[in-house]
Amino acid sequence: MNELYVSAVLGRPVIDPSGVELGRLTDLGLVPGKTLPVVSGLFIRSGGRRRFVPWSCVNLFTPVIVSADLSGEADSDTSWTEDEETGAITDIRLRRDILDRQIVDVDGAKVVRVNDLKLHSRGKSLFIEAVDVGIRGMARRLGQLRFWNWLAKSLGVTLPTREIDWRFVAQLDPNADKLTLTVARERLTDMHPADIAEILAQLPHKEAGTVIGALDPETVGEAIGELDPEVGGRVISQLDSEMASDILEEMEPDEAADLLADLPEEKVRELLGLMDTEDAEMVQELLEHEEDTAGGLMNNMFAFVPPAMTAEEALNYIRLVGAEIENVYYVYVIRADETPLGVVTLKRLLLSPPKTPVAEIMTVGLKAVGVEDTPGKVMDIISKYNLLAVPVLDDGHMVGIVQADAVIERFLPESVTRTRFAAH
Amino acid sequence: MPFFKKFSRKNILLFFALLGPGIITANVDNDAGGITTYSLAGARYGYSLLWMLIPTTVSLVVIQEMCARMGAVTGKGLSDLIRESFGLRTTFYIMIALFLTNLGNTISEFAGIAAGLELFGVTKYLSVPLAAALVWLLIVKGSYRIVERVFLIVCVVYLVYPLAALSADVPWGEVARAAVTPTFRADGDYVAMMIALIGTTIAPWMQFYQQAAVVEKGITAENYGFTRLDVIIGCVLAVIVALFIVVACAASIHRQGLPIETAADAAMALEPLVGKYASWLFGVGLINASLFAAGILPLSTAYYICEAMGWELGIDKDFRRAPEFFWLFTISVVIGAATILIPGMPLMFVMYVSQVVNGVMLPFVLILMLLLINNKRLMGKFVNGPIFNAVAWVTVAGLIVLTAVMTIDTVWPGAISALVKLVAG
Repeated sequence: MNELYVSAVLGRPVIDPSGVELGRLTDLGLVPGKTLPVVSGLFIRSGGRRRFVPWSCVNLFTPVIVSADLSGEADSDTSWTEDEETGAITDIRLRRDILDRQIVDVDGAKVVRVNDLKLHSRGKSLFIEAVDVGIRGMARRLGQLRFWNWLAKSLGVTLPTREIDWRFVAQLDPNADKLTLTVARERLTDMHPADIAEILAQLPHKEAGTVIGALDPETVGEAIGELDPEVGGRVISQLDSEMASDILEEMEPDEAADLLADLPEEKVRELLGLMDTEDAEMVQELLEHEEDTAGGLMNNMFAFVPPAMTAEEALNYIRLVGAEIENVYYVYVIRADETPLGVVTLKRLLLSPPKTPVAEIMTVGLKAVGVEDTPGKVMDIISKYNLLAVPVLDDGHMVGIVQADAVIERFLPESVTRTRFAAH
Repeated sequence: MPFFKKFSRKNILLFFALLGPGIITANVDNDAGGITTYSLAGARYGYSLLWMLIPTTVSLVVIQEMCARMGAVTGKGLSDLIRESFGLRTTFYIMIALFLTNLGNTISEFAGIAAGLELFGVTKYLSVPLAAALVWLLIVKGSYRIVERVFLIVCVVYLVYPLAALSADVPWGEVARAAVTPTFRADGDYVAMMIALIGTTIAPWMQFYQQAAVVEKGITAENYGFTRLDVIIGCVLAVIVALFIVVACAASIHRQGLPIETAADAAMALEPLVGKYASWLFGVGLINASLFAAGILPLSTAYYICEAMGWELGIDKDFRRAPEFFWLFTISVVIGAATILIPGMPLMFVMYVSQVVNGVMLPFVLILMLLLINNKRLMGKFVNGPIFNAVAWVTVAGLIVLTAVMTIDTVWPGAISALVKLVAG
C-alpha cells in the first residue's frame, strides 16, 4: 500500500501502539523535499486539544489505520509559525493551503481546483505525488465513489480520472508556492503568452501576482497585452508599482497606453514616473489621443529610414532596433521633417541589390490615415489595400502606425476577445 | 485632462459608469417574484406589513455590504470562499440547494414573462419558448453589457408606482403609522408572506451576485469607500420601489377588497394614475424585469457552481471547453421555461412560492457568510463589527423562527394560533 489518497485518511482516528486513540487526523504538515513535497507530520485533534505529531513518530499510515508513538514526545505547539517581521504564516498545511484551492495546471494551461491529493510513500517518507482535479476525486471526497461509479456504469460511461502530476502544478498561494517545483516554473515561462493571459484572466486579482512573480517581465508584458485592457489594467494595478513599471516598459507602447487609460490619474503618474524616461514618453504621447480614433489605436514604435539610406544599411538598422519594434515588415521612408515619402517591405529590402538607395525601391503613394480618423475608416483602408499596417499622419507628419490586428480586434465580436466573463 | 482619452463614446455612457454593482444588484432584485410579492402583500394585507420594510432594509444593507467587503478584501467570489474554507462536502450540498432555489426563481421569471405578455394577449405557449430562446441567445451570443443597459433604462418604469401611489389618494398618516408599528398574526399565510417579503428583498443569489460584481470591477480594500455608498443607495432605492408597490396595491386593490390572482389584477394598482394603460405599463415593467433576470439567474448560478467546483466557466468558452457551465445554464433555462408551459400553472402563485423558498434558504447562506467575514485570517482588520454581526444574526434567527412557525402551521393548521392564545392567556 504505497499509494493512497488523502481523502481516505483525513478525519480518521490516530492510535498509539497500545490501541488508545490519540485524536483524529485533521491536517498534514508539508515541507519542500528534494523534489516532491514531503509530509513533515500530522495535526491531530482530540476534543478541543490539538497536537502536532512529527512524522518520525508515525509508525503506520494507511487508510485503515494510522498509528503513532508519542512516548517521550513533549506536547508540541500546533499554532502556525509566523514570520516575525510580517506576521505572515510560514508553515504549509495540506488541507488548509492546498486542498480545495485553485492551482495552475501548467501542462494544460488551465486553472483548476484540487479535489483530492495522491500520496506516495518511498522508504520512510511520504510525498505528494499528484493532485486529483476530476470528478472521481470529488466523489471520493464526498464518500460517494462507489455510488457514482455504479451510477456511471448504469449510464454506460466511466468516471474519467483527471490527475495531474505534481511536477506540472504551480501553486497560487504565496506561501504554498514554496512547494512549486522548478519544472513547473519552467513550463509556466515557456507557455504561450495567450495561454498565460487566459490563466491571469481567471485568477483572483491577488493571486495573479504569484504567477506573475514566477515569470520575467517580458513574458508578462506580452501576456497582459493579450488581455482586455480593462482586465489588464486591474492586474497591473494590483502589483507593486516597481514590478508594474518593469512590465509596462516591456510592453508595446500602444498596449501600455490602453491599460493606463483605464487607471486613476495619480496611479498613471506614479507608474510613468517609475518607467524608463524614453518608454514613458512614448506611452505618454499615445495617452493623449481619443480612444476610438486612429491615434488611440496606433503604435508609435515603427521602423523608418531616410531616403538616402541603402538597402543594406536599412537591413542593418532593422537588426539593431528590431527587438524594440513589433512590425518590422514595413520600413517607412521619411524625410528629416517627419513627412513620409513611401514604404519599403522587408522582402523588397532582402531581394534588392545591397547598394540600392531605398528611395529607388520604395512604394510611393502611401495610403495613410489621420490621427482623428475613426477605427472604421482605418479598417476600410487596411482591408481595401490588404495592408498589415497603415501610417497615421498628424498635420502631414507621421506619428505612428495602426497595425491590422489592433483594428481587427475592435471589430471582432466581444466573445472573441479574452475578457474575464462577469456574472453581474 | 490630457491623461484621459475616454471622452467620446464613453461620455454618453458615463451615466452608466456611475452605476455601481450595488445599484445594479438591487435593481435586478425587483424581478418577477419581487413585484408579485410586494403586490400581493399590499393587496391582501393593506398597509399592515409595511413595518417589515424598515428592518428588512437594514438587514439588506448590512448583508450586501458584507459581501461587497468580502469581495474587495479577498478578491474572490463567495462560492470560492465557501469552498476554500468549508471544504467540498459543505459546498456540494449548499450548491445543490442553491441550484434548486435559483431554479425556482428562474421558473418564476418565466412565469413573469408569461403573465406580462398575457396582458398583451399573447399566449404563454408562444411567449415562453420565444423568451427562453431569446434569453439563451442573448447571453451566449450577445453582449452582456448592452443587455444590462437596456434593462436599466427600462427600470425607469418603476417610477410609475410612486406616481400611482401619489395619485391614489393615500392616507399618508396611516401609512407612516403602519411603517413603524409592528403587527403580527399567528396564521401560516401571514407568516409565509413575511418570509416571502424578506426572501424576495434579500434573495440568496444576490449575495453571490454582489460579491462577484465587486470582484469583477476590480474594487479592492483601498478604494472600497465608494462601494459602500453604492450598496446603501442601491438597497434603499430597491426598497423605496417595494414600498410604493405595496402602497399602490393597498390603496387600490386592498381598499376595494378585490382578489388578486392574475397579473391583470395586480395591474389594477396603476389604474388611478394611467387608467386603461395600467395593464400595459405593468406588463412592460414585469416583462423587462423578468426577461433580464431570466437570463441573469441561470447564468450566475452556473457561474457560482462552476467557481466552487473548479470547472471551466465563461460565456467566451463553448460547450466543448466548458461543458458543465453551459449545461447548467441551458438546463436552468429549459426547465424554467418548460415548467411554465404545464397547462393550468398558477403563474402568480409560482412567483410567490419561489420567494418563500428564498427566505427559507437565506439563513444557511448567511451563516456561512458570517463565519467567513469574522475570520481574521481571511479578512484581517476588515472583520465584522459587533453591530453588523448583531443585525445579521438577528436576521438569521428571525428567519429560522418564521420558517419553523410556517412549517408547524402547514403540518398542524391552527397549532400556532392556539399556542399564541395560550401564551396570551
